[in-house]
Amino acid sequence: MTLDATLPAQRLDLGRRLRAYAGIARVLSRTVMAYRSNFLVGSLGLLMQVFLLRVVWTSVFPSDGRTTTGGHAVTLGAQIAYSTLATVQFSLFSPWQVSMVPQRVRDGTVAVDLARPVGFNGQMFFGQVGFTLGNAPFALLALPFAILVGGAQPPSSAGTAGLYALSLLGGYLISLLLGSLMGMVAFWTLEIQGILMVYRMLSQFLAGALVPLWFMPGWLRGISQWLPFQGTTYTPIAVYLGQLGGALRAIGVQAVWVLVLWLLLRLVWSRALRRVTVQGG
Amino acid sequence: MADGTTAANPIPRRRAYRLLLGAALRAQLQYRSNTLLTLAGGIAYQGVGLAFVSVLVGRFGAIGGWSLGEIAFLYGLRVTAHGLWMIPTSQLFVLDLTIRTGEFDRYLTRPAGPLMQLLSREVYLATIGDLLTGVAILVAGASQVDLDTSPGALLYLALAVVGGALVEGSLQLAAASLSFRMLSNQSLRLFIDGIMNNFGGYPLKIFPSVTRIVLTFVVPVAFVAYLPANVLLHRTGELALAPWVAWCAPLAGPLLIALAYLVWRTQIRHYQSSGT
Repeated sequence: MTLDATLPAQRLDLGRRLRAYAGIARVLSRTVMAYRSNFLVGSLGLLMQVFLLRVVWTSVFPSDGRTTTGGHAVTLGAQIAYSTLATVQFSLFSPWQVSMVPQRVRDGTVAVDLARPVGFNGQMFFGQVGFTLGNAPFALLALPFAILVGGAQPPSSAGTAGLYALSLLGGYLISLLLGSLMGMVAFWTLEIQGILMVYRMLSQFLAGALVPLWFMPGWLRGISQWLPFQGTTYTPIAVYLGQLGGALRAIGVQAVWVLVLWLLLRLVWSRALRRVTVQGG
Repeated sequence: MADGTTAANPIPRRRAYRLLLGAALRAQLQYRSNTLLTLAGGIAYQGVGLAFVSVLVGRFGAIGGWSLGEIAFLYGLRVTAHGLWMIPTSQLFVLDLTIRTGEFDRYLTRPAGPLMQLLSREVYLATIGDLLTGVAILVAGASQVDLDTSPGALLYLALAVVGGALVEGSLQLAAASLSFRMLSNQSLRLFIDGIMNNFGGYPLKIFPSVTRIVLTFVVPVAFVAYLPANVLLHRTGELALAPWVAWCAPLAGPLLIALAYLVWRTQIRHYQSSGT
């Protein structure tokens, strides 16, 4: 954060900084409304996927509706609840626009962002939070329909519900940090669409958004377990369904990933800052 | 004029198309690394769907009685047909944009068909990635199943791919034609694409009967790959339809594209310049 440190504006006190971030989040949450028709198509696409997953899981499950895999006893109902929740949650946490950075770099507004009296990463972070908050009502609106074409299960206990909330927060922070890291690529290349597509597809799969880790073949599960993506989707939902023996340990792993990714982001940012090229002017 | 030229269209159609396409291709080749990355994105997009299927089959043995090889064959057939359609027609997706910006006005004043000019305004090289991915999956699937490789069967396969491309194309062309009346209808086209993409690569027998009927007669996804794959994999016995319908599936494409072109011809009359 070399540049930030030299800016006198960095001396803003915490309260004023928080107010600035809240303002950015508010503005970004409103931009969502401008894309309402996108939301409709997005929701229909989401419902199609939920329905497809239900049909496919139903067709492959044994006729008695239960199977055991690597110590997990999974019922068809639980599996459908998993895929329904995973699809909705993943679509909210991992929008196609993973970070505001590429757009800001491409149109040159990054120069304005850098001149503002609050940190660049903070602006991008809270902008993205605002974007999520703007989308959240739509996701909540789509949820009952998703449950209708897919399925749902109540959390296994009240304690589980609490742990799920905690784990969901961890999953969201990991999603945000991963997205921010991907956004940084824009400082090295403007041609980021292809990279983001590869990232999205890989992360969706490794997050367990399509197949939960317990149904993955051993080698793939091994890879997924050692990567941060599973923390975004698989961990919260497995906690919700009571499928994880050590839920607290899993949440601890999420916390470690949040810390590691945050440090990594700081490191990448310190390099990226030297590469800032402002387009236009 | 024997070569199809008229006073209004003094340049032969094929030559005009070649010229326009060549210019678009030269423009696109200026962005080679971007093309490669977008291509990789396309491969990842299709690859994830197949990875999901293969994990499931690896765990449970089959989907609806279809082995991994058979599903890969079906999936590959769908993606190949999609890629084949997309290469020459990717620009249909921006028709509403060209109308809004007034670019379409130019097409009407030039000595070539407006549809041809729209389709050759840009070449989207990443679509080649879809075709290559499709063919790779198709070949991989075919090598796993006992596929009839007689000339007759291979000819049927080729016709099925072209027919499937035309089925998807007819829906997209008809939907795009509505742009002349509704200024933004990208949502509709993305929705159709979503249906094709979600359901096109799965054996439709696993779906509830209402869904099957919709995917056969309302949005004719079944004609893209499922019905011809049933014929080539000797699975017509599992269909609720008579086997001859499946055999005739490749004919649906030419029929539907003719209808879609008719829709284009009637809708373009409603074109009003945006004045920009």
